[in-house]
Amino acid sequence: MSDSSTSPDSTNTGLRLAFLGVVVVALFAALFARIWFLQVLATEEFRAKAETNQVRLVVLAPERGRILDRNGVVLADSEFTGVIRVNPSQFGEGDRELVLRELERLTGEPQEVIAERMDDLAAAPFSFRTVAIGIEEPLLELVTERSLPGVEAAWEARRIYPEGSLAAHVVGYIGAQPAGWVDDHPGASYLPNDRIGRAGVEGLFEATLRGTAGTSTVEVDRENNVVRELGETPSRPGDDVVLTIDLELQKAVEFFLDEGLREAQGRSSVDDPRFLYPAYAGVAVVVDVRNGDVLAMASFPTYKPEWLTDGITSAQYKATFNDPQRPGPLNNRAVQGLYAPGSVFKLVTSVAAARAGVITPRGQFVDAGSFTVPVPNGGTFSNAGKVVMGAVDLSTAITRSSDAYFYSAAYSISTLEGQAQWAIQDAAKDFGFGSETGVQLPFERPGTIPDPAVKKAIFEAIPEYQNEDNTIFWVPGDTINMSIGQGFVTATPLQIVNAYAAFANGGTVFQPNIVSQSISREVDTAGDVTREFGPRVSNTIDFSGVPVDVIREGLEGVPLNRISRAFGLVSGTASTAFDGWDHRGWGIVGKTGTSESDGINKVLGRKKEDNAVFVGYAPRDDPRYAVIVVMEESGFGGTAAAPVARKIFEALRTLEQTWEEPEDLPLLAAEPVGANCPELPITVLRDATIDLVVPEGCPFGEPIPVVEPGTADDEGALAPDSPGLLTTIVNRQRPPPSPSTTAKAGERQRW
Amino acid sequence: MVNALSTRRELRSPIRYVDWFLPLVAIGISVLGVLMNYSATWRVLEFEGNDPYQFAKRQTVFVLIGIVAMTVAALVDYRIVRDLAPQLYLIALAMLVGVLFIGKEVGGARAWFQLPGFQLQPSEFGKLASIAALAAFAASRDGGLQLNGLLNSVVLMAVPTLLVLRGGDLGTMLVYIAITMGVLLVAGTKVRHIVVLTLIGVAAITFAFTADDVFGIELLPDRQDERLRAFLDQDSNVTEANYQLEQSQIALGSGGLTGRGYLAGSQTTLNLVPEQETDFIFTAAGEELGFLFGSLPLLAAYFFLIWRILRAAQLAADMFGTLLCVGVLSMLLFQIFQNLGMTMGIMPIAGIPLPFMSHGGSSIITAFVGIGLVLNVRARRFAT
Repeated sequence: MSDSSTSPDSTNTGLRLAFLGVVVVALFAALFARIWFLQVLATEEFRAKAETNQVRLVVLAPERGRILDRNGVVLADSEFTGVIRVNPSQFGEGDRELVLRELERLTGEPQEVIAERMDDLAAAPFSFRTVAIGIEEPLLELVTERSLPGVEAAWEARRIYPEGSLAAHVVGYIGAQPAGWVDDHPGASYLPNDRIGRAGVEGLFEATLRGTAGTSTVEVDRENNVVRELGETPSRPGDDVVLTIDLELQKAVEFFLDEGLREAQGRSSVDDPRFLYPAYAGVAVVVDVRNGDVLAMASFPTYKPEWLTDGITSAQYKATFNDPQRPGPLNNRAVQGLYAPGSVFKLVTSVAAARAGVITPRGQFVDAGSFTVPVPNGGTFSNAGKVVMGAVDLSTAITRSSDAYFYSAAYSISTLEGQAQWAIQDAAKDFGFGSETGVQLPFERPGTIPDPAVKKAIFEAIPEYQNEDNTIFWVPGDTINMSIGQGFVTATPLQIVNAYAAFANGGTVFQPNIVSQSISREVDTAGDVTREFGPRVSNTIDFSGVPVDVIREGLEGVPLNRISRAFGLVSGTASTAFDGWDHRGWGIVGKTGTSESDGINKVLGRKKEDNAVFVGYAPRDDPRYAVIVVMEESGFGGTAAAPVARKIFEALRTLEQTWEEPEDLPLLAAEPVGANCPELPITVLRDATIDLVVPEGCPFGEPIPVVEPGTADDEGALAPDSPGLLTTIVNRQRPPPSPSTTAKAGERQRW
Repeated sequence: MVNALSTRRELRSPIRYVDWFLPLVAIGISVLGVLMNYSATWRVLEFEGNDPYQFAKRQTVFVLIGIVAMTVAALVDYRIVRDLAPQLYLIALAMLVGVLFIGKEVGGARAWFQLPGFQLQPSEFGKLASIAALAAFAASRDGGLQLNGLLNSVVLMAVPTLLVLRGGDLGTMLVYIAITMGVLLVAGTKVRHIVVLTLIGVAAITFAFTADDVFGIELLPDRQDERLRAFLDQDSNVTEANYQLEQSQIALGSGGLTGRGYLAGSQTTLNLVPEQETDFIFTAAGEELGFLFGSLPLLAAYFFLIWRILRAAQLAADMFGTLLCVGVLSMLLFQIFQNLGMTMGIMPIAGIPLPFMSHGGSSIITAFVGIGLVLNVRARRFAT
């Protein structure tokens, strides 16, 4: 402070700082005055402006990806279609007649039809109802120009399924969101009226197919026409999903399965010749044993996805979804159907018995038609039809499907000590039974491989099963029942065919793939593979000590009449069905099954008929394809299912010649199945009548019971709920699907 | 003797003279800034599938870094800053040149270094280096600035100013001019020199804006031209800038006396005010918290801040300290006035962040360091 010339205390600096202070005060006074004006004096005016702000945040709907078969054939696609919608609640006096008259003149549809759609009772009150779709652009403009009261013409994104019902259960369909969907998917930019994949690949790959919605800020005039655009984040299209399905094969499989079911419906029941077999439902699956690709998957009865996306008449709806002769058409029985595997399970029992050391493969056993459990448990288990087969070994027991042989082996297993007494359970789990296969389809069920804990859970959950003193023990009879795939054993057709595929390829249990990859459709990365499913291995079965050649010989004999040195003529259970087949050139290895099913046939009011099963693989010397055919209530596996399988094998043999060898891809580890997903009560798991919905994010698990579309609960979820702030949907050139008018799953629109 | 000496030393200890209100108010404003950052961004972030807290979290980190930087700037004796001013100035120039070549272009301005995780804006830190350099130079001239010293000062500031303009960042360039004017005024420039300088400045700006029309030379980017036109003719209805002005005023106006409620302003949640988390952050506070709980307290806080800096300038031990404070004051005052004035429609749009509130690390840290320097000067007014 000694240096006075640089001191701020000099009068001059003080004065200049004071001047700066005046500037500061002046500037802040200006700001204060202005903000006072804006927020205190003129606030009413600005608040009114904010209310009627002519700026809208608009959601640009993304274009949904396609679903393609392995050769690129389109199974699901999106297109824009012109629609005319009417909201009768906006009519004034005399408008109704005017609108009906004008729409009849413009669209050529009769007034009664338009009126019926307009007054759709299923539609939400005060909503717009779609009265015409597939409108061409000129007509659309004409309707807009005419500006009739309560009438709007718009473009709407529509999902189309060019192949109709073909592979419908694999492709799935889109429909309205279940309640709470938007809240459960924060950050996925869903609007309450966006439709989502509800089943099949559409459902499981919702996030992949959907793409990302964009936003656009636009200024609009009083009629909501876009005046100018103020900023845009474009939407990004969803990826295409490529299936492993070969559509040609799929066509053949569906045709033959349908044909087989109808033939079965013409045969009279063996149990009671007064009745014909119902044969309402069936499953056929083809997998490639070399890599686990699912080449075809058919489930009957089936449906057309467009019925659920475009709407159907109530008559159609009843005929499709409430017909007792077409039970559960939406269910994909290949992964949701739980069946007692029956004799096809003997493959597992054979491996288990050999591992447990209770059989010698070539040792002879006398099949007396039944097997009696020694005291203290007692009880007699008979062959089907009480047939007496005489001397059999492991091979012929499989070929002729001797139950007594396996009863005896199972009883021996049940008398063992320690873990060895659970040899059948262990072998079954090795083959992948008792847990989901992990195929990329929703609602897959794990099936049941029973053990004491499972038995206890079932008995506790189902009161009718309980005895008086309420004791639940695992008895030898349980193991015996299990040995022939009955009792508490249940499995999905995909599990069974996957197990046989594993046997065919030397023990590699694949996690089957029904989706091979997803492909980007974004401009700069179009065609890039965004996700690839290589062959995924869930287990490798240890066959050491297992007489694989004897088991295979037994399975090879099933479609044959074979002369054995020890047993003479050995007639396989499917020898009739495969009569005349080129066994030398393209031999088939397989097993028939005829499994009892619980319960009562609701139509006929009598005990259900047996399910027919055939599972096998071919060619014998270089296994490539495994096939399963399951036909509900259709009689013997050898009679009903094997002929269908034969036709599928024929088709495979022909089509295969146009196919390329599959790529030799590195094997990948299986993906976790059902991890972090809540467990379902056993009663739900075992109840074949409950549809399950698996949401995205827990793709291979987390089943959540959901009511069938069309029931009251589901429609409640469709009601347009509180819009929130992001409701305006405009698709710039193409006006948006408006709330509540798009057809929904189960909605009864009358056309 | 010993006692008296130690007492005197204690009396001179800087910690006794720290102006605690200044950092507390700055931190208070920045906390409100984080809240408004969240309010202005969460909805779009969530809609696009991102973490709704993303911007608020980043801003929080910036504020914390800023507080640390402020503490450091307050601890190091400001006279060391004076001695290092030439080096700081040269580093700033090097960065301003460098950014022209390897910088990242955002919104028409090439003013950012892209570093992993964030962008660095050298023109922000350059402001502080320029303040230090100008203050050190002007303070070294005895008896006020004569013409010679004035011209040297102008050249000293013109170099970074023109570099910033070359990068296309007109708003920040204006901040440099404001700093120059403020420091030169207090440094003792003759009144007639100031008048002449101002006239030259006005002529230059007029020339820059009309060069396009009159002489066919394009000196300013179209965007800037458009913004000025939108400001001069607020009823015109064509440009984005005009839209921005209008929406911003609607946001403030509809806030009214008590506001629409936090996270409940329609202008803010619907993202109708462009660049709201950066340049238009004041509108979020104005709309959602209203006049009583948003705008007025904020204005008062900024006024308090500026007033305390002015006070520090008066109390400073030496001319360098005074000019350092005046530089920081000019920087903050101009930014606050220009930014708030822009949101209220009394100033044209220019991309200048609101100190302590707008989203952005460089600007937050610069503002906090500025406060740190002022604290430093005031606390060491008796230190030797």
